Amino acid sequence: MTADYLDAHQRHWDDAERLRGTERWANADHLYGIATECGLKRLMLAFGMTFDVSKGMPAEGKDREHANGIWARYESYRSGHPQGAAYALPAVNPFADWHVSQRYAPQAAFDRTRVEKHRRGAESVSLLVKQAHLEGVI
Amino acid sequence: MTTFDQILPRVVESLRPHAASLAGIDRIVINRDLNGKVRLIIPEQVRTDTAIKAVIASIAEELTRRLGAHAFPAAQGVLFEEDLQAITHGRPCLPLESFRNVWIIDRLATEGDWATITPVVKGSPRLVFFSIKGGVGRSTALAASSWALAQSGKRILVLDLDLESPGLSSALLPEERRPAYGIADWLVEDLVDNGDAVFDDLIATSTLAHDGEIYVAPAHGRNPGEYVAKLGRVWMSKPAPDGSREPWSGRLRRLIDAMEARLQPDLILIDSRAGIDEVASCCITDLGARLVLLFAVDGEQTWTGYRLLFRHWRQAGVAREIRERLQLVGAMIPDDERRAAHFEGLRERAWDTFAGDLYDEIPAGEVGGEYWNFEEFDEGAPHYPWAIRWNRGFASLLSLHTRFAAIDPAEVDAVFGPLIRGLLNALPGLGEDHG
Repeated sequence: MTADYLDAHQRHWDDAERLRGTERWANADHLYGIATECGLKRLMLAFGMTFDVSKGMPAEGKDREHANGIWARYESYRSGHPQGAAYALPAVNPFADWHVSQRYAPQAAFDRTRVEKHRRGAESVSLLVKQAHLEGVI
Repeated sequence: MTTFDQILPRVVESLRPHAASLAGIDRIVINRDLNGKVRLIIPEQVRTDTAIKAVIASIAEELTRRLGAHAFPAAQGVLFEEDLQAITHGRPCLPLESFRNVWIIDRLATEGDWATITPVVKGSPRLVFFSIKGGVGRSTALAASSWALAQSGKRILVLDLDLESPGLSSALLPEERRPAYGIADWLVEDLVDNGDAVFDDLIATSTLAHDGEIYVAPAHGRNPGEYVAKLGRVWMSKPAPDGSREPWSGRLRRLIDAMEARLQPDLILIDSRAGIDEVASCCITDLGARLVLLFAVDGEQTWTGYRLLFRHWRQAGVAREIRERLQLVGAMIPDDERRAAHFEGLRERAWDTFAGDLYDEIPAGEVGGEYWNFEEFDEGAPHYPWAIRWNRGFASLLSLHTRFAAIDPAEVDAVFGPLIRGLLNALPGLGEDHG
């Protein structure tokens, strides 16, 4: 299957929202992180990231990051692109305490406070994706 | 084949047959993106209405057919959004012709859209000197105005915002008095929160003022340094820690506010870039100017330029917000027997240009008193040129400093008198001396 970061961003965001609505905190938290990663990778493509079609992933190893690592990678693409000025994210990475391996963690480790922080981060990415869509950047 | 200027007429043609079906929708947005491609944005609530949804789908197909390269495939041509206010917030949104509920939103690659008019700021009046063409004596006239007003005891702050073609400061400052930095340096340092490092060495005082003061903030400092590399960054907006951003014009406004607070000038004179340009847009519409002087030489290029601008303001629905701040200045009026005829030609074409797009039309049978409208011969009208005579002695900015240093006030008056008197009349209170 080929990667479609935009579609993946939207479906992970939608599902995260549904899980949050039923207080399924652990998987909502996981999906907010994945939605963020996909959204930022779509924007990074617009701002110059190269993509290895044969492998279906970013060409540069350092761009193959999850939400906790991709925040800084996004900034380096955004700040080097003329259209990037209008696409800044909050300077502090809300996913610094998020890790993809937390999908193995017990549900009791997740609560509303943690999820709301990650949701705000994912929402800021979602708004940038929407803006890029409307402006014709993606 | 559809090209850019046909987009909106064709959108109207596509929507008109469905006007009755669309009338019940609170708001529809025509989104024209950075590439000039068009999408419809429809409120999410409409998605459940099968009949309306079918109409929208049919319009999307129609747009794909009519707009060609400026459309998306019909399946991608419509976006449903829950909050249309959020989509349009802070962006100029124009109504589409006769449709009560259809708005156009234009996404531009530049920040300056010429249609977001900042109200006149309180504090020191800000005056912008603008021209459609360069080389018409605009910067010289600014230097002369600052000299004359300073002679009457005023404290004048002069800003060289002709960043791409700087030079005004050389007219007002001898080489050795130029400050270490310029406005471009501050705009670049501010991006990394380092503006204070240059702020104290950004302004010099001119030796030309005797009773008052002329403070000059040049575009670049004594040593321009890597000016091209800096110039390419001054237009950057600045992200805040929360992800919001301050446009570059907002940063410039912050700099001018800080200079004003420090120097307490009576008047701020701003030399704008010529032409329909990003910096000029900022100077004219974003800095809260009290008065915008529109320099004109009598030629087609000038009038076409001003007509484009005035029409844009009218179509954007902001002409009323800006028009009372405008004043035409007749530049380079021949100083010989052709003068009277030249002036009359200039005035006539200026009146045509203002009357066509800025002045109110007076309906037949009504008197003009309630309308913003002026006769061609009305000397107080915005189109009536404040005339500046061409003068060899003032034709070169390069030698201006030497020239002003030993100037005969009568000579300044002969060349720039109408401009200087115009400024004093337009700014009540400015003519009164301190204490």
